[in-house]
Amino acid sequence: MQIEKAKILTNAEVAHNIWEMKFEAPLIAKGLKGAGEFLNILSMESWQNPLRRPMSIASSNGDVLSIIYKIFGEVTTILSNKRTGDYIELLGPLGNTFTHWQNGHHPILVGGGVGLAPILNLQSECKSAKIEHSIIIGARSSNEHFIDHNPDQQIYLTTDDGTTGESGTVMGPLERLVKEKANPYIYACGPEPMLEAVRDFSLAQNVPAQLSVESYMGCGVGFCQGCVIPRDSSQIQDHSYHHKYSLVCLDGPVYEAKDIQFA
Amino acid sequence: MKRRISNLPNLKLTMGNVEFDNPIWVASGTFGYGTEAPELVDVNKLGAIVTKSITRKPREGNPPPRIVETSSGMINSIGLANIGVEKYIQKMLPVYESLSTKIIMNIAGTDIQEYIEILEMVESVSSVIAGYEINISCPNVKKGGMEFGVDCDMTAKLTEALRSRTDRLIIMKLSPNVSDIVSIGKASEDAGADAVSAINTVVGMSITAKTGMSNIYTTYGGLSGPAIKPVGLAAVHKLYNKLSIPIVGIGGIVSEEDVAEYMLAGAKAVQIGTANFRNPGISEDIISRFNLFMAKTKWGSADEMVGQVNTHS
Repeated sequence: MQIEKAKILTNAEVAHNIWEMKFEAPLIAKGLKGAGEFLNILSMESWQNPLRRPMSIASSNGDVLSIIYKIFGEVTTILSNKRTGDYIELLGPLGNTFTHWQNGHHPILVGGGVGLAPILNLQSECKSAKIEHSIIIGARSSNEHFIDHNPDQQIYLTTDDGTTGESGTVMGPLERLVKEKANPYIYACGPEPMLEAVRDFSLAQNVPAQLSVESYMGCGVGFCQGCVIPRDSSQIQDHSYHHKYSLVCLDGPVYEAKDIQFA
Repeated sequence: MKRRISNLPNLKLTMGNVEFDNPIWVASGTFGYGTEAPELVDVNKLGAIVTKSITRKPREGNPPPRIVETSSGMINSIGLANIGVEKYIQKMLPVYESLSTKIIMNIAGTDIQEYIEILEMVESVSSVIAGYEINISCPNVKKGGMEFGVDCDMTAKLTEALRSRTDRLIIMKLSPNVSDIVSIGKASEDAGADAVSAINTVVGMSITAKTGMSNIYTTYGGLSGPAIKPVGLAAVHKLYNKLSIPIVGIGGIVSEEDVAEYMLAGAKAVQIGTANFRNPGISEDIISRFNLFMAKTKWGSADEMVGQVNTHS
C-alpha cells in the first residue's frame, strides 16, 4: 500500500456522464495483485471534502492504471475537471481480488453501471489467460454504454429502456447463460439491487458467484470501521471486531455470494 | 545545510507520571488498536496512540450506514464496535511491548461498574500501557457514556472510583454536547483525574434532500473534522481558564498550525482524529512539520506556548 501522486494521462467522457481516467502510478502498479482491487482517491488539497473516494481499478497496463467513474456529486465533478498532466493523490492498492476460476469453469462476468470497472479488469485477465468467458453489461439506456453489443464475441448488453442490446436487466442473459454454459462461475459488480438479484439467483441455482460490493468508505485501511456489510458467515474476522459485520475495505470488496447479506 | 538536532524545539512533555516524546497523539477510534496501521506508517513517531474504545464485552457496533461526509467534516455512528477487554488483554497488550510509542487505552462503559471491571482486569496483568482515557462522552450508544458525560456528580464518582484503583495516567474525555463543559472538567479534576481531553464529536445529522433519507442508520451521529475545530478551541480555552490539570485538545486538527492553535488555546497535547482517515501517515507528517513550525517561532518549547493566545479582552 502506497500513497502516490499519479500523473493524469487522459480523462474523458466515454458515455453519458461516465468518465474514464488513466494515470501513471508506478509504485502502486508494482503492488497490484489482481482484478478487484481499488484505489482511495483524493481529488483536492482542501479539506472541504475530507474523505477520499474509493474506486475500483478498471485496467492496469505496466505503470498505467485507469478508473471509470460517474459524475453525481461535487467530488466527481472536480475529478472530471482534471486535465492531462494534472496529478491526483492515490492510496492503494487496497482490498482483495476476485479469486480465479478453476480449470473447466466458464466465467460469466456481470457489470452494472460504473460497477463495470473491476469487471473490465477481470475481463482483461480472462483474455490474457485465454479463458473462454462471457460478459454481460447492464445500463439504464444506450447512452450509458461505451462497449458494443456483440453476442458473437459473447458480449451481451442490456438496457432498462431497450435502446440497445437486450431489454431489461442483466438477469435475463445471466439466467440464460448459466443454463447454456458448462460449469458457470459468476463474477459481478454493480448497484446493490443488481448484486442482490445475482446473489439470490446464484444461491438458488447453486452456481458459485463472487460479488464486488460497494460501501460508503471512510479510510480504506480499517481505521474508521465505517464500511461494514452484514456477513452471513460464522468465520470471525478481527477486522470488524465482530463476526456480524465485515469490513469491505480489508475483507472485501470481493465476497463469495453466500458470505454476505444485503441490508 | 543540515539542521542541527540541538536546534530542534523541545517537544517532550510530562502528564501525570508519564513522559511523552511529543504532544501529537492519535485519537481513539481513528487508529484502531495501534496494531493495524499500514506499513507506510511509523507508529513509533507518534507521541501516543489512544486506542479504540474497549467495553467489557465485545460489541458488534451499529448497522450501516455508519459514516457520511459532510462539509469539512464527517459524521460517524460506529457504535463502539470493539473486541472487548478480554481479547484486548490477550491480543493487544503483548504487542505493545514492542512499540516505543505510548499507549493510552480508551475505556467505555454503560455504568460505573463496567468501567471499574475493565480497569481492574487490565491492572491485574502486567503491561506497558501508559494510562487510560475514559470515554464518558460517546454520542452513539443508547445507554452509553453520555449519561456520565453530562452529569458532574456521575463524572466525579466515576473518576474517583477509577483513581482509587490505578496509579496510571487518567484522562477524562469530555463531550461538547453539554451546557457547561467546564463544570464537568472541574468535577474530573476535583475527583483526581490527571488530565481531561476535549472534545469528543459533536452530535450531528445528515440528510439528502433528493431522496429524503437520513444518511446515518442511528439518525444522529458524531460530527468530526475541521468543521468542529472552532468548537474544540473554545472548549479547550474555557477549560484552560478554570482548570489546573492539563488539557488534551481534540477536534479538526489537520495541520501543524492547527496543533499550534490548540496549544495557544490551552492544550498541553493534542489528538489527531478524522485526518487519519484521509491519510494514515498524516499524524507523523504533522509532527515533522510542527517541529519546523516551532523552530520559526519565539517559543523555545511546546510547553511555553500553552494558553498563550492573545485575546482582545
